[in-house]
Amino acid sequence: MTAPAIRISGLKKNFGASEIIRGVDLDIHRGERHAIIGPNGAGKSTLFHLISARLPVTAGAIELKGENVIGLKPFEINRKGLSRSFQITNIFHNLSVFENLRCAVLWSLGYRYSFWHRLAGLADARLRAEAVMEDIGLANRRDTPAGILSYAEQRALEIGITIASGADVILLDEPTAGMSRSETDDAVALIRRVTEGKTLVMVEHDMGVVFGLADRISVLVYGQIIATDAPAAIRCNAAVQEAYLGTSMNVGNEHE
Amino acid sequence: MNSHVSDAVFRRGRLLLWGGFLALAFALPLAFKSGFLVSLLCQIGIMVVFALSYNMLLGQTGLLSFGHAVYYGMGAFITMHMLNIIGKDGSPLTTALLPLVGGLAGMLAGVVLGYVTTKKAGTTFAMISLGIGELVAACALMFPGFFGGEGGVSGNRVVGKGDLLGFTWGPQVEMYGLIVAWAFLATVAMFALTQTPLGRMANAVRDNPERAEFVGYDTQRVRYLMLILSGFFAGVAGSLTAINYEIVTSETLNAHTSGVVLLMTFVGGIGFFYGPIIGAILITVMQIVVGGMTHAWLLYFGLFFLFMVLMAPGGIASVIAIQRNLWMAGLFGRMVPHYLAVALPVLVLLAGLVGLIEMSYALLAGEGVGAGDTATKVMKMELHLNTPGPWLAAVGVTAVGMALTRWIGGRTRAAWNAALSTLHGDKA
Repeated sequence: MTAPAIRISGLKKNFGASEIIRGVDLDIHRGERHAIIGPNGAGKSTLFHLISARLPVTAGAIELKGENVIGLKPFEINRKGLSRSFQITNIFHNLSVFENLRCAVLWSLGYRYSFWHRLAGLADARLRAEAVMEDIGLANRRDTPAGILSYAEQRALEIGITIASGADVILLDEPTAGMSRSETDDAVALIRRVTEGKTLVMVEHDMGVVFGLADRISVLVYGQIIATDAPAAIRCNAAVQEAYLGTSMNVGNEHE
Repeated sequence: MNSHVSDAVFRRGRLLLWGGFLALAFALPLAFKSGFLVSLLCQIGIMVVFALSYNMLLGQTGLLSFGHAVYYGMGAFITMHMLNIIGKDGSPLTTALLPLVGGLAGMLAGVVLGYVTTKKAGTTFAMISLGIGELVAACALMFPGFFGGEGGVSGNRVVGKGDLLGFTWGPQVEMYGLIVAWAFLATVAMFALTQTPLGRMANAVRDNPERAEFVGYDTQRVRYLMLILSGFFAGVAGSLTAINYEIVTSETLNAHTSGVVLLMTFVGGIGFFYGPIIGAILITVMQIVVGGMTHAWLLYFGLFFLFMVLMAPGGIASVIAIQRNLWMAGLFGRMVPHYLAVALPVLVLLAGLVGLIEMSYALLAGEGVGAGDTATKVMKMELHLNTPGPWLAAVGVTAVGMALTRWIGGRTRAAWNAALSTLHGDKA
């Protein structure tokens, strides 16, 4: 039996005296779309930061495809096939859309720190960046500096950079935050398309997106996971309903 | 496939540009047979390489270094010692290849010192680079055996016997040829570097180090490699300076030299590859030409730098780029009258300021009128600084210049803003 895409056990994170993640155990199956939901301040983004090594772990273990990744640096985890996006758009502002995506594919194509290859001569990098650009619908913005794209376009580019390297485990942190209804629908279709055959973990507040996309949902409350189950079961879970006191799980459109 | 066609055209245009510059560089001393001009051009060639190497850090990787002269100086000292070691056994060929040795020395300094400095980016990097710079400058005075103490290390670039295709590097104009050749090679190499994966990832690390880590790159490694390569080209520049002046002093690697290269690069424009070239040419000319006319040239230099930081923080290259965009959009023509209109009051203002500065300087520095001091030369008149006349005149001219500049400048600014908004409106 193959190891899960991500296995988290006994994970803890303290900031000074305050415990933000208080013992999380979670298996993310390979190929599933897994959503992490929970009230504000539950530690969802922190959990992402721990998995992607943006923050150091206080205690516990994280395995990526059966391999311990505690203590690795972000770029080392990325090279093992885990790629993430950010809640606050995190792109290369002065570079064009095309250059943003090309930067995202260079390492995975083995060009490392080369100063003896001419970028213009790297057909594979160009084709891959162009394919992703097509995928995220920004082909007509190819030479536009990323910093002056519209918000929704920047969010699409954020997802593009995340998936461009071909990583098979994708973490998306609130991919539709701040989007209008129609932009959200486009984003959901995009996420569905580009994560086909990959493992997806996402933090999301928009319950429409969560229940539309996820195969399984985990509910994180005060640094602990109180339930992990299929969407339908989560909807009727008493503990979850209590955590979301007064919030309708059906149409809930939570915003921070 | 459209982009490929335009790429090819662009590349041919670029070749023409490179060739044109090379031809111009070689033609200048032939056209004007002036020893002063050749010396000036030599210094410019060296500074172009130095400033471009600095911009590999500042503009391309986002690293503000206050100690770049260290790599330049190491290249210079090692070259000078090599020159002296080779001595009589040398040949013009070995001399011509010494910049390679200087480059390797700068690179080695980068390998050693960069390992420490590039651990961090941002302010921390700037501070550490300052510390390392001071450290090496202090060493220069502590180890006179290598650095030559106060007097520096000198040598003779015409070593050994014979010639290389007729060149002995003795005459300054031959030295200039050597500098142009090296400066051209180094510039092409540095430009090529911007078109490689490492060069592009340096931009990515500059823009957003966190994201660069999450696409698989060790940002520390990117910074380190860029610093090592930048050290190489700084070393080449230092080597050329050693061969050109046949003397290297500790000034070569101190904070002043680091400061000058920073100013050159910044004034020229860090956001464009050619920015530092403009800055190196302009500042060197100012240093030598204005420095030859007035003792107060550092003051002018400071004022000029202030003006640039406030009015055109993107440097001269960014101003040129905006004019080019206006030109492409057909808006440049409508700006020309405004530029001409504002030029006159600015000249009046400048004349007033120059008068005030020169007179104050002459008075405070205790130099008599006409004792070769420039106030009389520039304005072609004998001034008596102990009478109120010249002072009132200078203050008056300054005041009129300032008022006119404000008045006409405001209208130029309005026209400029209108042109820019039309430009951006067209784009959107």
